[in-house]
Amino acid sequence: MIINILLVIDFIMLAVVVAAYLYSSMKERKYLRSEADQSLELQQKVYQAQVLKEINERIGYSLDTGKIVDIITSSLGNLLEYDTVSYMVLEDSGKVIFKCHVENTVSHNFVDEVKQKMLLSYGAILNQRIEPKIIDESITGNILDDSIKAEVESFFNLPVVISGKLVGLINVASVVRGRYGEEQASILYTITNQAATAVSKLQAVLESEKGKLAAIIYSLADGVITVDLNHQLTVYNPAVKTVLGIASDQTLTMFDIVDSLAGKVDVRTKIEQAIAEGKPVTVPEVMLKDRALELTAAPVKDNAGRTIGASVVFHDITTEKSLEKVRQEFTAMMVHELRAPLTAVRWSSESMLKNLSAAAGTDPSKLKDTVVTIETASNNMLELVNDLLDVAKIEAGKFELNVQEYDLVELVNEQARAFKPQADIKHLAINVTTPSKLVLKFDRVRIGQVLSNLISNSIKYTDSGELDINLSENSEQKAVVVSIKDTGIGVSREDLSQLFSKFKQLKGSDHARKGTGLGLVVSRGIVEAHGGKIWAESAGENLGSTFYFSLPLGK
Amino acid sequence: MAKILLAEDDKLISGSLCDALKAGGFEPTAAYDGEEAVAKVKEMIPDLVLLDIMMPKLDGISVLWELKADPNTAKIPVIVLTNIGDVDTISKIVEAGATDYLLKSDQSVDEIIQKVKDVLQRTVKLG
Repeated sequence: MIINILLVIDFIMLAVVVAAYLYSSMKERKYLRSEADQSLELQQKVYQAQVLKEINERIGYSLDTGKIVDIITSSLGNLLEYDTVSYMVLEDSGKVIFKCHVENTVSHNFVDEVKQKMLLSYGAILNQRIEPKIIDESITGNILDDSIKAEVESFFNLPVVISGKLVGLINVASVVRGRYGEEQASILYTITNQAATAVSKLQAVLESEKGKLAAIIYSLADGVITVDLNHQLTVYNPAVKTVLGIASDQTLTMFDIVDSLAGKVDVRTKIEQAIAEGKPVTVPEVMLKDRALELTAAPVKDNAGRTIGASVVFHDITTEKSLEKVRQEFTAMMVHELRAPLTAVRWSSESMLKNLSAAAGTDPSKLKDTVVTIETASNNMLELVNDLLDVAKIEAGKFELNVQEYDLVELVNEQARAFKPQADIKHLAINVTTPSKLVLKFDRVRIGQVLSNLISNSIKYTDSGELDINLSENSEQKAVVVSIKDTGIGVSREDLSQLFSKFKQLKGSDHARKGTGLGLVVSRGIVEAHGGKIWAESAGENLGSTFYFSLPLGK
Repeated sequence: MAKILLAEDDKLISGSLCDALKAGGFEPTAAYDGEEAVAKVKEMIPDLVLLDIMMPKLDGISVLWELKADPNTAKIPVIVLTNIGDVDTISKIVEAGATDYLLKSDQSVDEIIQKVKDVLQRTVKLG
């Protein structure tokens, strides 16, 4: 590592010296040059600019250094005169890649000479002697002819540096003595520099993209890991520890992950399966302590389509599962509630049939009781089905109101009167306090339904005491507020917030006082559709409760 | 006349079934919540209990556990009558030691009466 850094520093110094030299010599020459020379120089500059543009375009998004050097050498074209153009790359493994393009026919010796000069130069730059065991050599272009005795008479080597790293060496060689001066070196230097800059920028862009990608993976709520083909962990995000419940603050290893899932699922087998099948493998539900996870292993491929490893996503489905459970409980509850009145209807009909066909003759008083039972059960069921339909409409946003101007005082009194017989049975007094008249726009049937729900609930949950129904105008908030206060069983603090929600209400509800809680859900839907609010207050269990709803004035 | 305790909070269902039990030659007593059911069973020691699951104060499964925990009531046959049909509940009912389990809406009253007779007969034979 230290040696490498030293080499890079050495090389940068060398590049600086070369650049400084080229710059000073060009300045000198410019001064001496005639006007004709200047126009030729201009022409060359235009051409050089074109070549640079072409190189930039051709490099595109390639980061393959070999390819880049290829592009540079093949772009030199008419810009420089040469018999061969070559480049050499020393790979980390010690292998040397040597490519030579023969523009004009030369001998094998000529090419060998170029190669030796490049090896020497490469070694000088790296400050080490290069004795390659393997040379990956390729020669393209014109055929070689050993009858030509011409040797390398002029040449120059130019290092290619990308992001401060030496990636190769370019050589141009000619059989003509003294062909290359600073000017030619300068052209090639400019071109390689430009190409190197383009690649550096590209690398920077890719690094930043990689950084963005890493940031996204890092911030995901799902646990994400990637592994290589040897099952070594290459990437993981913090969510992995949370999701898998790994407490360690040490660097994660694949062992930690396999260990945390031990006995539940074999991650390695799933990874191997995904790689073998070439497609994602999902384990829909892995129960891990108090969490439910969905695990998906998928193969990861490179640009060329080769599998280089796999990714595994651990998706926490605990919330989804609990929602699913609540939904199932709701359905089970509804089925139960619908079966109860049906059972009563069925059994009553059965008993009625028996009574009608009894040998001893029909008992009319019993017959009447049975019919009353059937009627009550049918009404209960109808109410339940209507509530369910209303809830469905509210949830689908298809709740329609028939809004007209009515006197709310009249409606409140009407509803209070309707419940008097029920309240009388339980010896509950209903007190109503209202202004003499309060006209506003609302749906008479629907608000009647809300009042009916709230009053019947209050009676249902109150065994002694009284009901106070109050209607008042709140001019500050431009609303009317209806309250129904009872002295009943009250509502616990934690239940207050859940009273008006579809699924929560049903939990632990008191089945002595039959009800699904759907009435309150429907009431909320109706009040909110009017632009009003509905809420409840209670000092606690057995301390009574007050239900409120408000309707906006001037609507 | 065999004494039957009927634990059922739905007054309509309880009424229909009580009538049918009387007509079938039994002596039914109604309880409308779980606590009342446990108290009445311990007091009267019926020949058989018809037990609903969803009841106020104490649910049917808890009633069943209480009855099975008391040597005086442990041997009384209990037929669970419910409208809950999910597997979880059924397995809990079986685990708690119910003699049989019937889904209310699936049965006619006659079928229930017949079941009561069958269970009583078997119990007598075993006894």
